Amino acid sequence: MNQKLLSGILKSVSKPGRYTGGEFNSIIKDKSKVDVRFAFCFPDTYEIGMSNLGVRILYEALNQKENVWCERVYAPWVDMDEKMQEYGIPLSAHESGDAVKDFDIVAFTLQYEMCYTTALHMLKLAGLPLLAKDRGEDAPVILGGGPCAYNPEPVADFFDIFSIGEGEEALPELCALYAEMKKSGRYTKSAFLREAAKLEGFYVPSLYSVSYREDGTIEAYTPLYEDVPKTVRKRIIKDLDEAVYPEKLVMPYIETVHDRVVLEVNRGCIRGCRFCQAGMVYRPIREKSPEKLCKLAKCLYENSGYQEISLISLSISDYSRIAELTDLLLEWTDERHVSLSLPSLRIDSFSEELMKKVSSIRTGGITFAPEAGTQRLRDAINKNVTEEDLMQAVGIAFGAGKNNVKLYFMNGLPTEEVEDVVAIADLAKKVVHRFYQTPNRNKARPVSVTVSVSCFVPKPFTPFQWVGQDTLASLKEKQEALRLAIQDKKIRYNWHDAEVSHIEAVFARGDRRLSAALLLAAEENMMFDAWDEFFSFEKWLDVFARAGIDPAFYANRTFGLDECLPWDIIDCGVSKSYLKREYERAYRHETTPNCAEHCNGCGANKLGGKTKWCR
Amino acid sequence: MVPIIADDAILYPAATLRVRFRKTGALQYISHLDLVRTFEKVLVRAGLPLWYSEGFNPHPRFSFSTPMSIGLESLYELMDVKIEKKVNCEAVKEALNRNLTAECVVEEVYYPDTKFTDISLASYEIVLQTAGADEALAEKCGAALRGSPVTVLKRTKSGEKETDISPMIIKSEASFAEGKILLAVTLTVDNEKFLNPEYIVTYLKETLGVLSGSPLEEAYSILRTGLYGKSGELFR
Repeated sequence: MNQKLLSGILKSVSKPGRYTGGEFNSIIKDKSKVDVRFAFCFPDTYEIGMSNLGVRILYEALNQKENVWCERVYAPWVDMDEKMQEYGIPLSAHESGDAVKDFDIVAFTLQYEMCYTTALHMLKLAGLPLLAKDRGEDAPVILGGGPCAYNPEPVADFFDIFSIGEGEEALPELCALYAEMKKSGRYTKSAFLREAAKLEGFYVPSLYSVSYREDGTIEAYTPLYEDVPKTVRKRIIKDLDEAVYPEKLVMPYIETVHDRVVLEVNRGCIRGCRFCQAGMVYRPIREKSPEKLCKLAKCLYENSGYQEISLISLSISDYSRIAELTDLLLEWTDERHVSLSLPSLRIDSFSEELMKKVSSIRTGGITFAPEAGTQRLRDAINKNVTEEDLMQAVGIAFGAGKNNVKLYFMNGLPTEEVEDVVAIADLAKKVVHRFYQTPNRNKARPVSVTVSVSCFVPKPFTPFQWVGQDTLASLKEKQEALRLAIQDKKIRYNWHDAEVSHIEAVFARGDRRLSAALLLAAEENMMFDAWDEFFSFEKWLDVFARAGIDPAFYANRTFGLDECLPWDIIDCGVSKSYLKREYERAYRHETTPNCAEHCNGCGANKLGGKTKWCR
Repeated sequence: MVPIIADDAILYPAATLRVRFRKTGALQYISHLDLVRTFEKVLVRAGLPLWYSEGFNPHPRFSFSTPMSIGLESLYELMDVKIEKKVNCEAVKEALNRNLTAECVVEEVYYPDTKFTDISLASYEIVLQTAGADEALAEKCGAALRGSPVTVLKRTKSGEKETDISPMIIKSEASFAEGKILLAVTLTVDNEKFLNPEYIVTYLKETLGVLSGSPLEEAYSILRTGLYGKSGELFR
């Protein structure tokens, strides 16, 4: 247990079980016998961090190394944060209770742009200077990773090094280098970073200078030394069946967001939706075998006691052996009262058979994501589903006794007009209508259709990376138009805060100059910006203004196709020429076949990897 | 190793198995509901032949003797769990302990012949590490708790209410040792008269001003030491 937190303080904060550690299966090592103390920080609450699959995997991968002890660190909730500041208690790791500032490597997983302020706040709570250049030799190496590391530039000044791509093999390699250099006496932070930059998949921002043009765009990235790579290629795991996967889970005592066994069935997605970053950066598509998955599932069930197994994937129904897998699992899950859940079901592959297997024990709501209201716009974003597909899918769901369906959409998509947004209301109406046309529908309760609309945020390494985000005024106007168009009481309408999406876009497409704004945000004690109750648009506008930054330059400006992009320093596998081709097709409303139908030459095959589709 | 299941025949009706355990350290910061969730998984991990409720969403059935509020450590907690096959109690105990940490330890597993509704009293050891702790303050604390009325603002279903809790304090002794005040109290835990031991600390804070300093220097702990029936016998 984290003995260093005082009982008087623990008793005065909400959910103290977040801070105490001591969970079953948490890993305790003898610190005198390890070479590398690794603090894995999740810049959000314990409940969210404990649910993250990436953390679970990397915790296992690092701790499998005898000379490395990886511990977990979460952001304290505001009440605890206040107490820690009041009584000068530094941020500490969950397992040992030791102060984060005394670790060798402190890593942050950056899952979402809006967690940047929380990450910086955690550095502050740890008692570490925020800017990498201000931290001395004694300070730990600060490492960043996760999806946001595909454009690390907005936070480049705060981190010593970034891990790009999949970390299961890369992070233990980095630790091995650290241990070796410490042992041989070659270690200085700068010597280590210089060496680490030569490992595949590590980006050391301080080893590059960035020059800008007069119009504010980037001129070039220049490595400071000959032996520093011009671009940093992401790492991938070649064979998922051979990849590290935890067989035991750290069991939280308190309820977490995803309190269940999570099975990753594949990485990547064959679809190529043009707005989707995950669909591009996790290429090439690799799968695990049903046999391996079933073995893992049983092992995880026995070691956890969870009675729910969730299969996760960017698009589970595209897993080429889904029927085999569910059959194998159902051989033993049913009799043990273990339920299966499948998130992210694609509309066009939703079948009666799949539905039966999933709802065999427990049932929940069903969510579909048409993303856009008209076929023209769905074609422009390459969603490749039709209204017929949707009607068939909801028909199956209604026929199986469901009477609530959730539909996800985006507004502000490139080429979108108000008519496209208003068409969402028509589509929802047709879904309601479909319910009443279903002969064996559940008549006990009324139908309910929830329409959730988020705002499009252009993301790096997508065909829409160049596109300026809709202005706030336009986003709000479209949200209002849809609100007025939805008249039916059976349709519930939720929309996402456009202001959050605007700030998200600034950081998604930002460059190094944004660190000035983040520094000011840290001074203002801004954090938990991913939480509605703490996000303040006014505060963001204020820090941007004081830092001399025009948020529209990053969020709303359409970037030139030949412009040097902040993330050009990273090579995620997918080529720029492919993204350009897709961008141009979008404006011609042309769809592109998925990887299973046809290889479109995205370029990710150069990374290698055991894959079915890449040529 | 002795197997958990003693007989493969399915029992009708399901049998009740009692588990006595202690929970200390980090476990005191877990809410009652979270402890329920934790045990649900522990029981599955341990491989008990759990009885599942019928119906759409089958669940194992188990219940705890008395509510455990956050901040309470205990040496004497009871849990009843429904099972569908006869088990070897010692093997169950070992299996459960393999699936728990050192801060939660099962002491005994047996087939009970009593019901939780017969529990009437609970004993506690409360330790106050407070500025000004000495023999005299200890004596004052003891006397304060033996007096009447002992009025606290008590949370009830219908909001907070000034309540005299002296009828719920059955015994209270105070002593002073190693710079700390030790209170040994016995409180009622019947359904209608459940007294959370936190109120004892709250009362002493408010009336005698104990624990008014910095949490860096002061602390208190509450340890449940036993559960008793109506006539004061140890409840099993």
